[in-house]
Amino acid sequence: MSTAVLTHDAPAHRGASPATCKFGMIIFLISEGMLFAGLIAGYFVLRWTANGFPWQPGSAWPPDASLPHLPVLLTSINTVFLVSSSITFHISESAVQKGRSGLGWLALTILLGATFVVIQGFEWVHLHHEGLWFDKGGIYGSSFFVITGFHGMHVAIGVLLITWCFLRQSATRCFTPQHHPALANVALYWHFVDVVWIILFTLLYWV
Amino acid sequence: MISTTADSPLVEQSAHSHVQEGFFRKYLWTFDHKMIGLQYFWTALFFLFVGGALALAVRWQLAMPGTEIPVIGRFLPQTIAVDGAIVPGGYNMLVTMHATIMVFFVVMPILIGAFGNYLIPLQIGAGDMAFPLLNELSYWLYVVSGFVILGAFFAPGGAPGTGWTAYAPLSAVAAYNGTRVGQSMWGIAIFINGLSSIAGATNYITTIVNLRAPGMKMFRMPLTVWSLFVTAILLVLAVPVLSAAAAMLFADLNLGTSFFKPAGGGQPLLWQHLFWFFGHPEVYIMILPAMGLASEIIPVFSRKPIFGYKAMVYAMMAIGVLGFMVWGHHMFVSGMNLTLSAAFSVSTMVIAVPSAIKTFNWLGTVWRGSIEFKTPMCFALAFVSMFVIGGLSGIFMASTPVDLFVHHTYFIVAHIHYVLFGGSIFAIFGAVYFWFPKMFGKMLNEPLGKLHFLLTFVFFNMTFFPMHNLGLGGMMRRIADPTVYEHLRQLQPLNQVCTIGAMGLGFTTFIFIWNIIYSLRNGPAAPANPWHANTLEWTVPSPPGHGNFPHTPTVYHGAYEYSVPGLEEDYLPQNVPAPDHARLESH
Ligand code: HEM
Ligand SMILES: [Cu+2]
Repeated sequence: MSTAVLTHDAPAHRGASPATCKFGMIIFLISEGMLFAGLIAGYFVLRWTANGFPWQPGSAWPPDASLPHLPVLLTSINTVFLVSSSITFHISESAVQKGRSGLGWLALTILLGATFVVIQGFEWVHLHHEGLWFDKGGIYGSSFFVITGFHGMHVAIGVLLITWCFLRQSATRCFTPQHHPALANVALYWHFVDVVWIILFTLLYWV
Repeated sequence: MISTTADSPLVEQSAHSHVQEGFFRKYLWTFDHKMIGLQYFWTALFFLFVGGALALAVRWQLAMPGTEIPVIGRFLPQTIAVDGAIVPGGYNMLVTMHATIMVFFVVMPILIGAFGNYLIPLQIGAGDMAFPLLNELSYWLYVVSGFVILGAFFAPGGAPGTGWTAYAPLSAVAAYNGTRVGQSMWGIAIFINGLSSIAGATNYITTIVNLRAPGMKMFRMPLTVWSLFVTAILLVLAVPVLSAAAAMLFADLNLGTSFFKPAGGGQPLLWQHLFWFFGHPEVYIMILPAMGLASEIIPVFSRKPIFGYKAMVYAMMAIGVLGFMVWGHHMFVSGMNLTLSAAFSVSTMVIAVPSAIKTFNWLGTVWRGSIEFKTPMCFALAFVSMFVIGGLSGIFMASTPVDLFVHHTYFIVAHIHYVLFGGSIFAIFGAVYFWFPKMFGKMLNEPLGKLHFLLTFVFFNMTFFPMHNLGLGGMMRRIADPTVYEHLRQLQPLNQVCTIGAMGLGFTTFIFIWNIIYSLRNGPAAPANPWHANTLEWTVPSPPGHGNFPHTPTVYHGAYEYSVPGLEEDYLPQNVPAPDHARLESH
């Protein structure tokens, strides 16, 4: 199909401009935000109707003393890993903008992201041993595992996307200072997943 | 001047059309928004057929409970019919699948997938959507979700039978509903279908904001585009909440969680809140594009500018915003706090105001116009009048004391069908008659169209109007056999009237299908602009070539410049500058 036949100046079937791609990504992330808002709202509705608001007596969480507490310390460390991965990704993107490959920082980002998933997995196993699971511990277990499961899945997908960027960049150096929409959009997604985690971490582990 | 602008691309079209592609790239994995729109169109028509058949089975059972369905009864799965006669559990499955299919697989895909895809780039002067690959992915996600929902019929235990609203705990506890697999497949289908909707909506918003042709300011956009824009925003915000709920439901059924199960500390009411937080915006998702389509047809066949263009836009925005604040009107009987219930009553009545504004504007458009009763116009006018009936019954139900009595009765079913069939489906039919020439390059047959319209209109009212009376007479929704209730026996003749009407509707649809088949083969070739309309899709050949516009059009004014004083022609396409002396409506 020669472009001479398609004499249009309208952008048919050509890649959308980087700014347009970014716009689309933001719309998609808003939608993702509503997904997590739905899950989190569900969690609080259940918890507050069952146990009362946090300022009311008897609202201690977890509701039952025999249920394990969430490992706040370990997860705090894990949160540091995830937040750092956002920073390393940003450094990598700036490096690309300055005409360098950014591969080193990208690799570090993958490592940090993967570490987060592994530690989260470890935490799941640990809690499972302690008697908390999808079907154990009532709404406490249900909410924790479904919400962190959804988030963990987003992180895992993010790691795969970054790996894809890494492989493309190392094979073809396709990200140039002027043109790197894929990298920029994956970065946007990654920062989003990061921000969602900070919110989830606060609400699930601290409130 | 006008006609040359409108027709000149024809010459270049011949250069366009010899882009040859294989069958696979042309029809199955295409990046052309027009073909993707047609993919949606045909797939949704198939589902309309399935959903319609399910409805007829439902009506058969209600008119003649427990009698064998002739011929096809024996082919139905054992979970639905035994010896050809529908069993109560199977009846619930039929109702559930009918509504689920009609909402998620017919009305949304036709309005948003088919017309949205086809019209948005053409009407804003773009060559395609912003993300063509995402567009095609969204179609195939829809197909996958379609396979999953149809697959539920063959699941062990049968299809889900908990209604399209899937209220917990019935839906969440496998021991209650007996269809763990079917109900889970329902959840999966809803989830995948949601992904498809979100992908499409992301694409639409991005396209409308970023790819408008020069001069196509937001307030020059045709109302169809506006309506799809607002709809897409509603989709992006509302659908993920349903996805979250569907995921929780799936987890309750398969992972042993207890979100909606009281036994584990969960709350059945949480389901209702999540579902209706999505559900009410959803009903506007299904009517706004229909309003947009009708707003396009009515001025064309009245040869007058749309009355109150900006008011139409603001009304849609108001509907979009208010739509998120009224979901509690579905839950008046859930035991909610009475003050809250009053607040939801008021917000619901308020949302009727922008709906009424739109209605009056349509009437204002028709008022003293040179009305041409072509088939699209007939359907569009029927859309307005049926929507008014549905909107009025909505106001009844918005008032808590009334709703306590009519909730979960056939009054609601009447309301739903006046807004969704009399509203959305009538607008869809009108739009098919209106844009078919553009889509396929053939005119539909006008007498057959009129016959289709007339019979649909009569049978529609015959089917659904008596449901108001049934509901006020106390007939509950989702009961397999009204005759077992003493107080409903005297109403049975009304049920039979409904069923006769429904069968009439079923047969009438064949006139429509026949018209499509006949016209595709023998219809007269469609000119570029058969209705003398102004929007940009009519400035290119029917069907438009690959890439839509040979040159990016420039837009000089709004879309509704009909019968402009001082012009020879009674229409003025958006890409034709007006002479200085013309008094335009828009800027
Ligand atoms: C004037 C505007 C409207 C008002 C005031 C209104 C009001 C209501 C109310 C109060 C209910 C709940 C009744 C009950 O369950 O007891 C309801 C149900 C419903 N409405 Fe509307 N409505 C309006 C327009 C629409 C439109 C435009 C649509 C769709 C195109 C729609 C679709 C539905 C559906 C599908 C249900 C039933 C849901 C179910 O329980 O299965 N409504 N409406
Ligand atoms: Cu509603």
